Amino acid sequence: MSLGSATLGILGKKIGMTQIFSNDGNVVPVTVVQAGPCRVLQVKMATAAEHPEGHRTASTNLGKKRGRQNRPRAADGYYAVQLGFDDKPARVSSKAELGAAKKAGLEAGKRFVREFRLAAAPTQKPGDEVTVALLGSTSHVDVTGTTKGRGWAGTIKRWSFSRQPTSHGNSLNHRTGGGLGRQHSISSGVPRGKRMAGHYGVEKVTVQRLEVVKIDEARNLVYLRGAVPGHNNGYLVLRKTVKNDRAVDIKPGLVVKNAAQKAVAGKAAKK
Amino acid sequence: MNILRQIELEHMKPAIPDFGIGDSVDVHYLIKEGDKERVQLFSGTVISFQGSGTRRSATIRRLVAGEGVERTFPLHSPRVADIAVKERGIVRRAKLYYLREREGKATRLDPNLGKHQYPRAGKGSGLSKGDAAPAQ
Repeated sequence: MSLGSATLGILGKKIGMTQIFSNDGNVVPVTVVQAGPCRVLQVKMATAAEHPEGHRTASTNLGKKRGRQNRPRAADGYYAVQLGFDDKPARVSSKAELGAAKKAGLEAGKRFVREFRLAAAPTQKPGDEVTVALLGSTSHVDVTGTTKGRGWAGTIKRWSFSRQPTSHGNSLNHRTGGGLGRQHSISSGVPRGKRMAGHYGVEKVTVQRLEVVKIDEARNLVYLRGAVPGHNNGYLVLRKTVKNDRAVDIKPGLVVKNAAQKAVAGKAAKK
Repeated sequence: MNILRQIELEHMKPAIPDFGIGDSVDVHYLIKEGDKERVQLFSGTVISFQGSGTRRSATIRRLVAGEGVERTFPLHSPRVADIAVKERGIVRRAKLYYLREREGKATRLDPNLGKHQYPRAGKGSGLSKGDAAPAQ
């Protein structure tokens, strides 16, 4: 992964899909995502000296007999910010989570915790809040989520195979996967990676370049044009897109979400 | 209150004209011609409602030179300026697809003098008792 484009993203939750009308009356299919508020749980630095708590030593528990020992804080070796989203009651937080939460000034753990690798030393400190305002200057985002589980699925659903004829003498082979390939004379066995039936769904998927239609800072909502992986209430990671993030793409009359984009849209219209 | 429903309420018109299945209506539809906007009328019989919330739409059928023409209008679209009821009709079902097989006088419906109940445009607005009015 190249760290050149690595920027801080935000964690969120899929609320659901609906349709809204743009200013000129066109229907825009949107996914409503609750993005944040997230808490910075931990900040990772390439060298120990850069760390805001660099002067402190980290304590290590070496076991019952050898006891606790203090040793110099080790460098993380890379820059990153760890965000937590969605409160978890203290009674279901593990001791490890409670300890980590305490360092960020929180009472209890978070349900969804993810780390964002950065190219340069992060300015955030543990305990800082990250809200949807972060996406204010972003016109498109990449959204990572976990797809809906489909259980054990056949080749038609899982790999988009075609089905076979329902009649014309065909019997018992309507949705089967067909032959497995290879001729006896060349070699025996099934080719590696042959697409067959099996478990489908519940996988990590990223949808690239979804347009940010609207940001509602009061309710921590962001409206994205198009669909997002997973079921409602599923957790998501939103990042500035790795593809072209050009605001000029806004079609005239579409909902313009902030002043910066308005200016760009205005320029495009003048041309 | 459900966030999604709240969002839909914000994007819906505060009120849509009260009309129902079997009514003859005039739909005032805004059309853009270059820089100008003008109102186009589409007159016909309401044969079906679909969807709820912002997606609520009505299908209007009319006969043009003996040929049936149907258009579906999203009721909360800013382009649907107004829907005026010309005449109310008595019908006994929610979808009047049987009109598609009829021509001429057979497509007439009995006038409704006010007692008859049938599905209305405002149904499925997503509002239920106890919901706050949409914040505008």
